[in-house]
Amino acid sequence: MSELTAPVPTTERQASLWSDAFRTMRRRPDVIIATLVLLLVFAMAAFPRLFTDKDPTQCLGREARLRPDTWFTGDHPLGTDAFGCDFAATLVHGTRPTIALALSVIVASVVIGLVLGIYAGYYGGWLDSVISRALDVFVVIPMLMGAILILSLFRGRVSTESLVETIAAPAIALTLFGWMEFCRYTRAATLETKNLDYVIAAKCLGASDRRIMFKHILPNAIVPVTAVVPTTIGGIIVTESALAVLGIGVQPPATSWGVLLSDGTEWAGGGYVYLFAWPLGLLILTVFAFATFGDALRDALDPKLR
Amino acid sequence: MGRYVIRRILQALLTLGIVLFLLHYLMALSVQIRGNPALLFFGGDRTPDPAMLEQVERLYNLDNSCYERVGDPCITPFVERLQDYVQGDLGTTLNGNRDVAQLLSIYIPNTLRLFVFSVITLVAVSMVLGTWAARHRGRFIDHTVRGTTILADSIPVFLILLSYVYIVAVPLTRWARGIWGTESFMGQVFRPNYNPDYPWTTIIIPGIIVGTVGLATMTRLIRASQLENLGSDFVRTARAKGLKPMRITIVHVIRNSMIPIVTGIGFLFAFMLSGAVLTEGVMGIPGMGRMIFQAVQRQEGNLVIVGLTVSAFVVVFVSLIVDLLYAALDPRIRYE
Amino acid sequence: MSETVRVIGDTLPGADFNAPLLEVDDLRVEFRVRGQRIPAVRGASFTLEQGRTLAVVGESGSGKSVTSQAIMGILDTPPATITGGAVRLHGVDLLEQSEETRREVRGNHIAIVFQDALSALNPLWSVGFQIGELFRVHRGTSRKDAKLKAVELLDQVGIPDAKNRVGDYPHQFSGGMRQRVMIAMALALDPEVLIADEPTTALDVTVQAQIMRLLKRIQAERNMGLILITHDLGVVADVADEVAVMYAGEVVERAGIRDAFKRPAHPYTKALLRAIPRVDTVGQELEVIRGLPPNPAKLPGGCPFHPRCFAAEDKCATEVPPWIEPAEFHGSRCHFAEEVYTDER
Repeated sequence: MSELTAPVPTTERQASLWSDAFRTMRRRPDVIIATLVLLLVFAMAAFPRLFTDKDPTQCLGREARLRPDTWFTGDHPLGTDAFGCDFAATLVHGTRPTIALALSVIVASVVIGLVLGIYAGYYGGWLDSVISRALDVFVVIPMLMGAILILSLFRGRVSTESLVETIAAPAIALTLFGWMEFCRYTRAATLETKNLDYVIAAKCLGASDRRIMFKHILPNAIVPVTAVVPTTIGGIIVTESALAVLGIGVQPPATSWGVLLSDGTEWAGGGYVYLFAWPLGLLILTVFAFATFGDALRDALDPKLR
Repeated sequence: MGRYVIRRILQALLTLGIVLFLLHYLMALSVQIRGNPALLFFGGDRTPDPAMLEQVERLYNLDNSCYERVGDPCITPFVERLQDYVQGDLGTTLNGNRDVAQLLSIYIPNTLRLFVFSVITLVAVSMVLGTWAARHRGRFIDHTVRGTTILADSIPVFLILLSYVYIVAVPLTRWARGIWGTESFMGQVFRPNYNPDYPWTTIIIPGIIVGTVGLATMTRLIRASQLENLGSDFVRTARAKGLKPMRITIVHVIRNSMIPIVTGIGFLFAFMLSGAVLTEGVMGIPGMGRMIFQAVQRQEGNLVIVGLTVSAFVVVFVSLIVDLLYAALDPRIRYE
Repeated sequence: MSETVRVIGDTLPGADFNAPLLEVDDLRVEFRVRGQRIPAVRGASFTLEQGRTLAVVGESGSGKSVTSQAIMGILDTPPATITGGAVRLHGVDLLEQSEETRREVRGNHIAIVFQDALSALNPLWSVGFQIGELFRVHRGTSRKDAKLKAVELLDQVGIPDAKNRVGDYPHQFSGGMRQRVMIAMALALDPEVLIADEPTTALDVTVQAQIMRLLKRIQAERNMGLILITHDLGVVADVADEVAVMYAGEVVERAGIRDAFKRPAHPYTKALLRAIPRVDTVGQELEVIRGLPPNPAKLPGGCPFHPRCFAAEDKCATEVPPWIEPAEFHGSRCHFAEEVYTDER
């Protein structure tokens, strides 16, 4: 049977790959739950006002460390933190820097990885040697270590007023050591694709290099890259929190889940477990949702491993 | 084979050289932008006597004028640094003025012991789970294994650690001591912190915790390779030859599955190193990880660089070993 | 001969040497995929005598490879299940034997050569090891002697410089040489039945002929029964003694090779023969069989070939055709077997 099916043009094949993946994912209950969790988290990052009417910066010293005995009712549904700030508001407002950081790192890393990978794979030669060597070098230093290095060497005071300044330093450090995986996948996919008949045909028809790279090769290269994006976002959120615990991530008084966790550890031993448990639970839930989604996506895009 | 080994070793040395230079350049840049870390020696804000500052600068090899020009790669100090490294001189700590090389000789074995347990945990658990999932592909067990490993991978190591230290360790230790006594193995193994009197016992739990880094990745790798090999044509041939299932598994499946496992360990080693930073920091294990942890907190650039140099060295070395093992395992590599 | 008898008696209790060498009787295999039962083989029957060559011909998906794997006992179960029929070797039904006996039969009595030798050989072991493994497992031969035997076999299948190549790995051989290694491995324990599953499909035309000659030579030398599975009627013409044509999981025609070529009794065979390019038809348009092979999950009712058949009539769509023998040793599963045989249709 298979011998007689006509060759399908790439664009159609791509389209059916994505729609097949979408259809497979839509049927899985774990994916649906993960998606709902992620939507909730994104909503918290985009519209914190929907979830809390308190201002996290309005704190009363005499209300410090109120335990959340009232359970989701009363003035402070999740209690207050060490300085008397409403903890629910703090948690909700800490979402935005966390998510913004993760998304900006992933976008920057993917773009860098795609561009370098395609150029290295397509042109080969000295450009490929340079990029491959850079890949080898950066891979030696894992993301957390690299971020530690950069942030501890270039530590400085930043304003906490604007979101951009809050997340800029950790975002740059994480991007610097986060693009390699994408570059490697893109390069491999480019090497594979560039000798396929339809690419050679396009070349013979006089298509420019850039057109071939971005019109014909990119759609293929983007598949393995997309498959690892959600999992990597989860990894970035985790790394951010690790940096915060080390005291070199997002700098207080700005908040992120990592900062809250880091503060929470000081109080968890003293009986204020909720200050640690809430950000911990939220972080794990989010990362787990990203990982589940990513795992399903990887399977859907690479059916032979199912 | 010989040529492949030599080429691979040269490549590793080149990578290592570039990494070292990169680290040096970043440090130089940091000094050029942020000012002299030697000032820390005098405790922050006070302005020290220029003569003394000069002396301290010389002590930390920061007396070269290139450190005042932003962007200068500082080649001369780099060469000097390499020469010092070769002679075993890794400098001294700003804090307490201790010999770094000497510290390393204490720290590295501790971290290695931690890794013994981590690697054993990782390989054993993922082998069992991956094989199990592959046998029950597509069924409940497969999904459960996958979900559990992803969850284990989603929880950051240091959070498992913090939860363990702050919530589980103390009651567990108390319970164990009530039954077996303080000095017994069980009385020590659950301690929330490292005890140098029991260098092996008290490192087991942190080792296991670091071993959960990459559990999902590794399990997935093993599951996939087992599925691939079990359904492969050469396993069908082996069955057609009338071999027993046990022999097929041992001779024709396991060796073929070893390749991704070896690659996976090489790949995850770097991540386990970063897991060790927080683990050792939190559990108080005097190893490389804690050194980096403290160096960051005390802002000792040189110590961070040395720590990362060692880590880079280990990663390059491990991936070299992995590649050579790969060549030993797969005859197709040798002749390329 | 006496030695062969002893070995067979040891490993195949109850063997009757007056019975045909290999008899496949109404074999049925199903695949169970997502709760659906898809028939892959729907009653395949044929007989193979010692020293004869049987060609099993059919399109991909016609169930010929599944049949060969069912004979070997190496189907992946699940998803496949053998739901009926018998595979008799010297009169003993293999399907009723213990797994242990079946293992002994594999390699000792029946061996198989697969299509793609590159993936059918383990890339991580030398060919010498993989051939020698048979002696070591079935005969308890020492590693050293097994290697000597491997050299001998490689030499027999025409691999030059066998002594030095025995330690080489599969990827170091060319396609044709690799297929020779496969054949050497199948011959190792001197089986009575050799199944060659599309042995030349992955090879160049010139190499194809060499491998075919090699198989023919070995079969004659050892007086084996050879089952040659192929989708190409052309390659079997001067090698096979008999032919069984499979369509949609069943044998639709069985005949001596000359008879089948000269006077086919099934429209499908006839159509296949017309599709072979021949010297005497140069310049004429080559005929093709219209339509696609049927989906085994949704077979057409009646005769499964009727939608593509040039001779089909109304009853073909409703009635399953019986097995008709228009001549001695020549059968066909077609309502109009007689007419097709006598070329009236």
